[in-house]
Amino acid sequence: MQMNDSRRIGAPRDVVWAALNDPEVLKLCIPGCDSLEMTSPTEMTAKVTLKIGPVKATFGGKVTLSDIDAPNGYRISGEGSGGVAGFARGGAVVRLSDDGSGATLLAYEVDAQIGGKLAQLGARLIDSTARKLAGEFFETFSAEVSLDEPVAGPAIELVEAMPAPEVDAAGADVAAPDVAATAKAKSGWLKRMFGAKTMVLLGLLGLSYAALHVCCVDGSHDALAGMVICGGVAS
Amino acid sequence: MNDMTPTRAEREARLEGMGCKRKRVEDVRFTQGKGNYVDDIKLPGMLHGDFVRSQFGHARIKKIDASKALALPGVLAVITAEELKPLGLHWMPTLAGDVQAVLADGKVCFQNQEIAFVVAENRYITDDALQLIEVEYEELPVIVDPFKSMAPDAPVLRPDLDGKTTGAHGARKHHNHIFEWSVGDKAATDEAFAQAEITVNHLISYHRTHPSPLETCQAIASFDKVKGELTVYGTFQAPHVIRTVASLLSKIPEHKIHVVSPDIGGGFGNKVGAYSGYICAIVASIVTGRPVKWVEDRMENLSTTSFARDYHMTAELAATRDGRVTGLRVHVLADHGAFDACADPSKWPAGFFNIVTGSYDFPVAHLSVDGVYTNKAPGGVAYRCSFRVTEAAYCIERSMDILAQKLGMDPADLRMKNFIRREQFPYQSALGWEYDSGDYHLALQKAMDTVGYRQLRAEQAAKREAFKRGETRDLMGIGVSFFTEIVGAGPSKNCDILGVAMFDSAEIRIHPTGSIIARMGSKSQGQGHETTWAQIIATELGIPADDIMIEEGNTDTAPYGLGTYGSRSTPVAGAAIAMAARKIKNKAQMIAAHLLEVSEYDLEWDIDGFRVKGNPERAKTMKEIAWAAYNAPPPGLEPGLEAVNYYDPPNMTYPFGAYICVMDIDVDTGVAKIRRFYALDDCGTRINPMIIEGQVHGGLTEAFAIAMGQEIKYDEIGNVMGASFMDFFLPTAVETPHWETDFTVTPSPHHPIGAKGVGESPNVGGVPAFSNAVNDAFGFLGSTHIQMPHDAWRLWEAARRLGV
Repeated sequence: MQMNDSRRIGAPRDVVWAALNDPEVLKLCIPGCDSLEMTSPTEMTAKVTLKIGPVKATFGGKVTLSDIDAPNGYRISGEGSGGVAGFARGGAVVRLSDDGSGATLLAYEVDAQIGGKLAQLGARLIDSTARKLAGEFFETFSAEVSLDEPVAGPAIELVEAMPAPEVDAAGADVAAPDVAATAKAKSGWLKRMFGAKTMVLLGLLGLSYAALHVCCVDGSHDALAGMVICGGVAS
Repeated sequence: MNDMTPTRAEREARLEGMGCKRKRVEDVRFTQGKGNYVDDIKLPGMLHGDFVRSQFGHARIKKIDASKALALPGVLAVITAEELKPLGLHWMPTLAGDVQAVLADGKVCFQNQEIAFVVAENRYITDDALQLIEVEYEELPVIVDPFKSMAPDAPVLRPDLDGKTTGAHGARKHHNHIFEWSVGDKAATDEAFAQAEITVNHLISYHRTHPSPLETCQAIASFDKVKGELTVYGTFQAPHVIRTVASLLSKIPEHKIHVVSPDIGGGFGNKVGAYSGYICAIVASIVTGRPVKWVEDRMENLSTTSFARDYHMTAELAATRDGRVTGLRVHVLADHGAFDACADPSKWPAGFFNIVTGSYDFPVAHLSVDGVYTNKAPGGVAYRCSFRVTEAAYCIERSMDILAQKLGMDPADLRMKNFIRREQFPYQSALGWEYDSGDYHLALQKAMDTVGYRQLRAEQAAKREAFKRGETRDLMGIGVSFFTEIVGAGPSKNCDILGVAMFDSAEIRIHPTGSIIARMGSKSQGQGHETTWAQIIATELGIPADDIMIEEGNTDTAPYGLGTYGSRSTPVAGAAIAMAARKIKNKAQMIAAHLLEVSEYDLEWDIDGFRVKGNPERAKTMKEIAWAAYNAPPPGLEPGLEAVNYYDPPNMTYPFGAYICVMDIDVDTGVAKIRRFYALDDCGTRINPMIIEGQVHGGLTEAFAIAMGQEIKYDEIGNVMGASFMDFFLPTAVETPHWETDFTVTPSPHHPIGAKGVGESPNVGGVPAFSNAVNDAFGFLGSTHIQMPHDAWRLWEAARRLGV
């Protein structure tokens, strides 16, 4: 798959870069992120709880950063297992550039594979969920990092609306975000931001799927060609 | 005689025998939600089992850690291959002579393969426990494309077969090769091609799909430790075979195994085989001493138990320029998945695919089939068709259209020119079958006349011109399909399953008051046996169908039979019913002669009893004879009135039909609208026209699904995609076209009542009719063959590639 997109973030590039490398920010922005821990300057472990259609799972995974080119971008790659729900592996190249008006353009290219039950859910559901999750990530990230907006009010609303604590039949064991804690974390963010934290993950840019069905018009093609599936979650 | 005496017509009507549109008696309970399916059965103390399944298409299993699951309150056992090994049950034989892992033995070969079986107090705890079992995998390279399976450097999918150069069906030429099967005269066929004025050659793929019955596969095993008896309730299309296999595997004597198939919610071939769930439920019940239920969910059903098709057929026709076919040559690459678990009669690794000469008089033909392993689910069942017959019909019917296109000939005319003629029956085909009866020219002519075929072609020609002028964006396609099925497996001389000959059976018992209980070795999954079997008996014995109780599925009471699939019930069990009834009738005639004090040769049968020839006033009804059979039999004759028959058919039966589909395709959206679908079926003698019509409607709807979208796909890393009804196309009333049905009647000369079987014909004939219509619509734009399934996306893509 290629899930390629870009976002305008209302903050200078070095601010965005620092945020992209701050585990606290990322933990806040990744929908369903339960924990995020650095294990080395370029490695970390993460836990993310996701619900896609009938499958809900907590993905535990390892994330690695490479091709680091501060403050212009990096490649993150990772793989995670969601137990019976399946697995995911893949990566994303993130590029930052100035948009000329003091803001930053964040472009990302995701390539990923998913397997197990998640993959079996089929194209439509996974594609739309991936886009939704990516959308949520950047809405929150943008609200967190942007200097255009006042820091307090709207961001909290966004957070409230965010990690989709969908109540499933078995009972809501996806914890709703602690709004108070979030607000507290936010207040200290600008300060921490310049505190030279290194690294961390961008997560979960999404799962996507692009089936390139091939139809034989001239009869010469390989019968099974064209069932190419891509999709992924980087957690 | 007075006015109250019923007329002969009234007596006949009261029987509701053969030919009557009798309403389905089983529907009384089904339409009220009172059916009794496996999942309705709840035994005291019953536990629930479910599987941990592989996430990967191909991987080594490094470790299974079940400790957390076992610590969960309510979990009784977690069974893995290690636990099954001491019992010798970690592998099981398949119907095709291969073996299949019951639980993964160190390695998984397809996604969702069974790894461990969790047994707990209820389904909720079972599901929770599944999440707690940790499996460590080491991924291995995956093969999903059968064309890559036999590459020299292809990974070894089945190390358990390492070094075995011979399989159940002869030599293996590669480590992922299963068998090669060939039939026909190769030299003569090659010669026909060398001499041919014109030839066509095309790869025709029939994609992987699934029978997808609404009720999934399920079982309950209950082992009585005191008596040493095992009872298994299950969704079994062949309950007796399951009993025999269970006995052979478990070493429990067969008389101590009770297999019961209650009501079944559709089978279509999916419920023929033996699955890991059955074995694990049985083992779990023996281990725990409590009943254990296993019920597949939808994704498990679509992704693990018995897929269908996945045949990649390279078909060649040789012909003269005026359209006389002189030879057929076919090679099939058959993708059997990770284990060869095809449900074919044991000697037929490619089923009856050698019916691929279809309805045509081809002088020579040659067929070879290579079966290969891939990292996909095992199966290859006959999804609403006799063994591999729908693949064969699709192959030849597409090929005939491709040839017609090359010759510039009308496809119906090409068929007419090559049909086996009526006077050629019984007809010996070039690939070894003896067709019993048929009148193909009559059937196709009737179909063409009814739909106004020539007018449709004229309309199509005009529409094509309009399309070229840009006046319309619709393509009109006319699909002609003429199929010959081969059903009723089968004669013991060439058909068996694991050594069990494919006879079937009936036991009929008339009670003193003249009502009947009858039991068969067949097992309805919705076919309406309770209705139609009673109709055969009603006509044969003169007892009203409403006074006849039909019972199937209990191996303790039913005579041994091979079950219901491959349209074998009417040709085999139906024949056994007629033969058993005739045994009873012979005895009844002796009793009637005694009662009427005449010689039995002076009696003749008359609707519902015997009457004295030339003196019709003197007669005894079957009811009167039944009472006398128990209470006043002739001296020296044993009392009672019952009979059993085991029927070993002398030949298969060969139903046929002519289908025509008219379709309009919007090239801008790819949406195909079925304007008209006409299906003429000849299934020989018709037992219940209403049930036949229902069967044809159902089979056509499944054919429509398969041709127009239904598919089990795999991605390149072995994920099975869309194994849910969100993606797997199951048409509802909204999508399903209107069906027109029609018939001719050419009885089978060797069947006791001349019936041939019909349940699967519409699937066999329907798929090529839809696909031929699609291809016919696009043909004038320069395409020769568009692969199935023909969903809107692919049709739109075809239009785009053809530049329109």
